[in-house]
Amino acid sequence: MWSLANITNSIHEALNNQFSAGWALFFEMLMAGIAVISLFAILGLVLVLMERKVSAWMQIRLGPNRVGPKGMLQSFADTLKLLVKEGLTPGGADKFLFNFAPVLAIIVAMLLMAPIAFAKDFQLWNLNIGVLYVSAISSVSVISILMAGWASNNKYSLMGAMRSGAQIVSYELSAGLAILSVVVLTGSLSLNDIILSQQNGWWIFKGHLPVLIAFVLFMIAVTAETNRAPFDLAEAESELTAGFHTEYSGMKFALFFLAEYVNVFIVCCIGATLFLGGWMPFHIGNWQQFNHIMDYIPSSIWFMGKTFFLIFLIMWFRWTFPRLRIDQLLTLEWKYLLPIGMINLLVVAAMAIGGWHF
Amino acid sequence: MTGNQIIFYLLALLTLGSAVLAVSTRHIFRAAVFLLFALMGMAGLFFWMNYAFIAAVQIVVYVGGITVLIIFSIFLTQETGEKLPQQLWSRRFIAALASFCALAFTLTQIFQHTFNASKQTAIEVSVQQIGLQMLGTNQYGYALPFELISILLLAAMIGCIVIAIRLKPTS
Amino acid sequence: MFIKNYFKEVFSAIRSLLKGMRRTGYYFTHHKEIITQQYPDNRDTLNLPDRFKGEVVMPHDEKNEHRCTGCTACELACPNGTIKVITKFEINAEGKKKKAIDKLVYHLELCTMCNLCIVACPSDAIVMAQTFEHSVFNRSQLTKILNNPDSKIMEGIE
Repeated sequence: MWSLANITNSIHEALNNQFSAGWALFFEMLMAGIAVISLFAILGLVLVLMERKVSAWMQIRLGPNRVGPKGMLQSFADTLKLLVKEGLTPGGADKFLFNFAPVLAIIVAMLLMAPIAFAKDFQLWNLNIGVLYVSAISSVSVISILMAGWASNNKYSLMGAMRSGAQIVSYELSAGLAILSVVVLTGSLSLNDIILSQQNGWWIFKGHLPVLIAFVLFMIAVTAETNRAPFDLAEAESELTAGFHTEYSGMKFALFFLAEYVNVFIVCCIGATLFLGGWMPFHIGNWQQFNHIMDYIPSSIWFMGKTFFLIFLIMWFRWTFPRLRIDQLLTLEWKYLLPIGMINLLVVAAMAIGGWHF
Repeated sequence: MTGNQIIFYLLALLTLGSAVLAVSTRHIFRAAVFLLFALMGMAGLFFWMNYAFIAAVQIVVYVGGITVLIIFSIFLTQETGEKLPQQLWSRRFIAALASFCALAFTLTQIFQHTFNASKQTAIEVSVQQIGLQMLGTNQYGYALPFELISILLLAAMIGCIVIAIRLKPTS
Repeated sequence: MFIKNYFKEVFSAIRSLLKGMRRTGYYFTHHKEIITQQYPDNRDTLNLPDRFKGEVVMPHDEKNEHRCTGCTACELACPNGTIKVITKFEINAEGKKKKAIDKLVYHLELCTMCNLCIVACPSDAIVMAQTFEHSVFNRSQLTKILNNPDSKIMEGIE
């Protein structure tokens, strides 16, 4: 059967036949790097277009429809515009930090790509603490925002950065608790083991109500962590012009923009892996014929389908709900999500010990 | 030089270089950022040694926790773009002396110790083992320190609440 | 009691959020009614809302007569001096002098389309038109005289 693992294995063998082990590894790293960068570019183009179309349809508009067939090439045109635009550095800014912040945002997004299993046996780094790695690295992303806000030497930027810092630091907790509930059920931090544990059913179905609650908490928390509406206080247009990226233009702005979309993609990958079974096809109990048909769909398509479903869900949130105020935001986290998450984690732990899941 | 060594030297260079920059820069925010790079370099070294768990914990605690805390306190207390005042020469001398003494002490300790190259193959410590050790009550268990630290943190949290709480004026 | 209120709040919040999402989800799946006007392409079939206000005009009938008495109520009502009424005295059939407009000067470049002049007009002489393509190459072209040359006031308007 067609699979991505065969391709990677044959490339690996060919390289090892041709070169010494060290050089083969070097070329493989190079190829992985190019693959990740091109994935970034494609994601940027696809997700921006998707967001604009989804938002248009939800607001009974048409969306981009001029460039290319049905406006498909709109994001190419946008990218071209951003590429030729001047990347301005304000006079009073801290030049080094100002220019480094967007790069750091992209580096963090790239690091987060490493442990994600995109298809069966198709993973850059099978890390045995994958989940912990992801939550650790994603806590670095706040630094690039703080850096951008401080280095711009602009009060809107600084306020946006402060808000975003408070927001990300507090919502990381409930995202962590939601992730932990699946880790407790699986007994492993490795993303691969978590996927394999869902062979006979995804956690969202196997885990009854507590895992469903954890899933809802996870979606809310990651929406806040990626600074998207209704939690986009960091860049609240009506109050702070654009928050931490007020002073950015051209390609530096584009990098922040890209990092936001890639982060959305990554958290949706994690959500799909933890709760919706990663690349595992959908199976119904012992109904063999149905399960066989589902198995024929390649694992990469399963994974991407689930991920894009979650991305659509996050876009749906964005274009439905109004922005929260900062006190409402913190109330939601500290008075609702966190206590519910903690009690939910206890229930999940009891469930895991008692073996009450399927 | 093998690829492994190249990676080690790159990480060491990152760690040491940003550590030096962190203490020599006069922009306080840059100092915090360079400290962050030094800590990231350390985490990279842990990854290089295949201690992924410790590396991740290093990032969670130091980079995601402490550095963000430092940056926040800078935000709340300092003005943007201001350079720190030049340090006094006497203070610089004392600082240099202190760091030299520390370096000398560490180096003598390292050179006196005879390192035995381990013959064992590298084992990947699973998180399960770490967890059992952490909450174990046997010889190498850490249950008691773990609980003590929990109580310490709880006390700190209650202290924070007591400081931050605003009593309603009784009238 | 507190616990009960807490959960009630959580559930009502989730319900209201889902209600909002159902609405947008409905729009997403039923994109028949589209409010986007693809403007330069549909200039012929453009349909603007009834209350769209483009500019102030003075309608004339086929005998080149308007309804303006020259009372200057619109000029007084205008908050930013857009309208200037220049009056003259005419001798009517009975030999009496009567006030009438010579020119009603309208500065489109100053107008904010606030509709106050239309409301103020006692004889409904001016209305808001729905034209909106006002761009010209010279600013002086935006100063308009609303009454046609040689136009007269309609019979019976006081």
